[in-house]
Amino acid sequence: MVLEVGTRVLCRWRDGKHHPVKVIERRRLNSGDYEYYVHYTEFNRRLDEWVRLEQLDLDSVENDVDEKVEDKVTGLKMTRHQKRKIDETHVEGHEELDPASLREHEEFTKVKNIATIELGRYQIETWYFSPFPPEYNDSSNLYFCEFCLNFMKRKEQLQRHMKKCDLKHPPGDEIYRSGTLSMFEVDGKKNKVYAQNLCYLAKLFLDHKTLYYDVDLFLFYVLCECDERGCHMVGYFSKEKQSEESYNLACILTLPPYQRKGYGKFLIAFSYELSKKEGKVGTPERPLSDLGLLSYRGYWTRVLLDILKKHKGNISIKELSDMTAIRAEDILATLQALELIQYRKGQHVICADPKVLDRHLKAAGRGGLEVDVSKLIWTPYKEQG
Amino acid sequence: MSRLSFRPRPLDIHKKLPILKSIKDFEDDDTPTSTRTQMLRLVAETDNDTQVHQVAIKKTVSEIPTPEYVIVDTYERDYSPTFNQPASYLRARGARAEIGDFVEYDLDNEDEDWLEEFNSDRTILPSETLEVIIFKLEVFDHKARERAGVIAPTLGTHVPVLLTFDAAIEALQALSIQYGIFQSIYSYWREKRERLHKPILRRLQPPPPVNDTNPYNVFRPREKAHRLHTRRMQRRENSVQSFERLRQVRRNLDQAKSLLEALIKREERKRDVVDNEVLLQRIQMKFKNDTGLLEDSLALPEMPSFQSKFVSSEDEYMESDDLPPNRIRLRFQPHGPVDSRVIIPSAGVIKQEIRPRPAPHTWLHKLDPLEPILLFTKPLVPEKLAAAGIVPPVDSPIPSARGHNFRGRIGRGGRIVFDRWNPLMHTPIDCGDQLYMPPKPRISALH
Repeated sequence: MVLEVGTRVLCRWRDGKHHPVKVIERRRLNSGDYEYYVHYTEFNRRLDEWVRLEQLDLDSVENDVDEKVEDKVTGLKMTRHQKRKIDETHVEGHEELDPASLREHEEFTKVKNIATIELGRYQIETWYFSPFPPEYNDSSNLYFCEFCLNFMKRKEQLQRHMKKCDLKHPPGDEIYRSGTLSMFEVDGKKNKVYAQNLCYLAKLFLDHKTLYYDVDLFLFYVLCECDERGCHMVGYFSKEKQSEESYNLACILTLPPYQRKGYGKFLIAFSYELSKKEGKVGTPERPLSDLGLLSYRGYWTRVLLDILKKHKGNISIKELSDMTAIRAEDILATLQALELIQYRKGQHVICADPKVLDRHLKAAGRGGLEVDVSKLIWTPYKEQG
Repeated sequence: MSRLSFRPRPLDIHKKLPILKSIKDFEDDDTPTSTRTQMLRLVAETDNDTQVHQVAIKKTVSEIPTPEYVIVDTYERDYSPTFNQPASYLRARGARAEIGDFVEYDLDNEDEDWLEEFNSDRTILPSETLEVIIFKLEVFDHKARERAGVIAPTLGTHVPVLLTFDAAIEALQALSIQYGIFQSIYSYWREKRERLHKPILRRLQPPPPVNDTNPYNVFRPREKAHRLHTRRMQRRENSVQSFERLRQVRRNLDQAKSLLEALIKREERKRDVVDNEVLLQRIQMKFKNDTGLLEDSLALPEMPSFQSKFVSSEDEYMESDDLPPNRIRLRFQPHGPVDSRVIIPSAGVIKQEIRPRPAPHTWLHKLDPLEPILLFTKPLVPEKLAAAGIVPPVDSPIPSARGHNFRGRIGRGGRIVFDRWNPLMHTPIDCGDQLYMPPKPRISALH
């Protein structure tokens, strides 16, 4: 039996249960059988994967004939079905893209080109498509040097590379060290190949990152855990050298093996500490992914509510912004989402009942690793010689 | 959320907001006043409830599932434990391209396959050597293109190979590779390089043009980079030209500065003049209000309020009664029409009835005997003038009630001056006086 693209069916997932999927693509194996690239409609696209026919519950097949016809439709004219298609593939974090560019994005990136990567100690399943040079398209596994981030198609190539590789840490200045944790600042202009490698790698885990423009205008802040083998990247964020929209962060990523350890929160906090040193307010570039939004909401909530708990007397949003380097709009959005700003007797007031604040703080989760500002030795880019 | 009945005003981020520390502050003053608000509250609360419920459901799934990872078992062999972290923060060294020794190229699958076939079980050529040679060929080819001036700023159709076989042999002499082997490598490299249409080494590949829509062609130069060509950035070039330009700018600014300083000085002077004029007008007004009676504007300077040693009080004038009766006049309006024959009484204005005009000669007698008499304080004596042959200018021919009398005086420099215009009051001299009157009291009073 051969399924058509667009078929809706139940598929056995890694939890052993069957989940509804939609067939996005299919390809013929050497054996003559097909394997199918499916999207789990309950989950984010990052879980899309190639499956064999055995994993599918063929009794549940539901052929979507309309969809098949539509797949041949080119151009950006939207039908109701296409709209639905996009609506359901995208649950969160994509609201800021218009349907046309979203569809273009989907079409080009609908199937992950690289399935897994090896980076240092870990072999990691990728999340999204990344536009590696076409020479790498025939390889579903890539081997990255964990220090200079060069990528290769064969393990032997990596092993040969490791014998000559002269790096044990990111090729920039160390600007922070606390315990085994170090932060490096890498200038995209001075270390172009490294920065490009980092972008190719990061795109595998970021849906709406664009590699459209060059890395010259960015600084990359690479967070590492250090041991006797070197400084191992756990995550990074990038930042425009000069942002006209007052962005203090462009892309942020914690590599999957290091997730849920508080590194993402550390990176966010770090980006605001840099803004404070620059004497500016900042905000992350949009759109934020589902995970990104969660982390940012948590950070803003923790920082703002901690202040409100201690603060005596009245306070304006602007003052909060000056204290935290968080943009006023983000403060408003956070406090309003928590319903802490209320309109009462013709004026806005902030509700700071300790019990309410504690409940929100608990929901926001723990703060993760603290940034020790005394260990940050850094000159803003503008002031560097 | 509890208020559904009206739309709150937009929030001003600069406005200080009260912080309510207790939820009671919210609820107490929110006592429902009518069943309608009660109902609204209920609606709001159920709304909130369902929202909380939804959030709670979401929270349980908030563990967003992500793809997985495993540990690589060869890791500890692949990466050697040879890193010694220095005590100080690590500093960036130059990029690999600047260091020079590092072989930036890693063999790809194609190279490995070719090499395997080339070696065919014997090791004629180690992988590392091939890596070095391909790397060097790339670098020398790039240099050849640089010398020829054909480095494309962006990726066009085809980046030509300029490194010839002979030039390559010469450049790579130091590696002492057998001619035949080198020939094979060169043609393999050249074939691969031509097929790719661009350098093999990624660092040397030109970026795609800005308008390239191929999604695989990434890292385009950003339009923003062109901002470098704005005037502001151009001036930052560190050249003799910009030095001269900046010097010129400095000169211009210095000139502008001194010009402005002079301007300020001028304006200050102007202000002083105006201040003095105002002061004078005030004094004039004061005098007129105090006395209410004046002979004419010429008498103004003889203000009794001046605490001068020459004129200490108006009583001194009262002593002299040798004034001709025809010179006694009434005046109460500073700017009103002046007519010696008309007396205009006005309520509350005339404070003193008639004031005798002080005689010039008596005035002189009042001088402090110790005070030296300045020449220009002396009145002119018409007889002496006549004796010296000085004739005062004749009256203006313009027919008028009073005519224009010239007033003679001795100037500060000792010259004899005939005024037709009172320089201080900007009024014509004479206000109907027929007789010559010396202006000495004014000068002495101000002296």
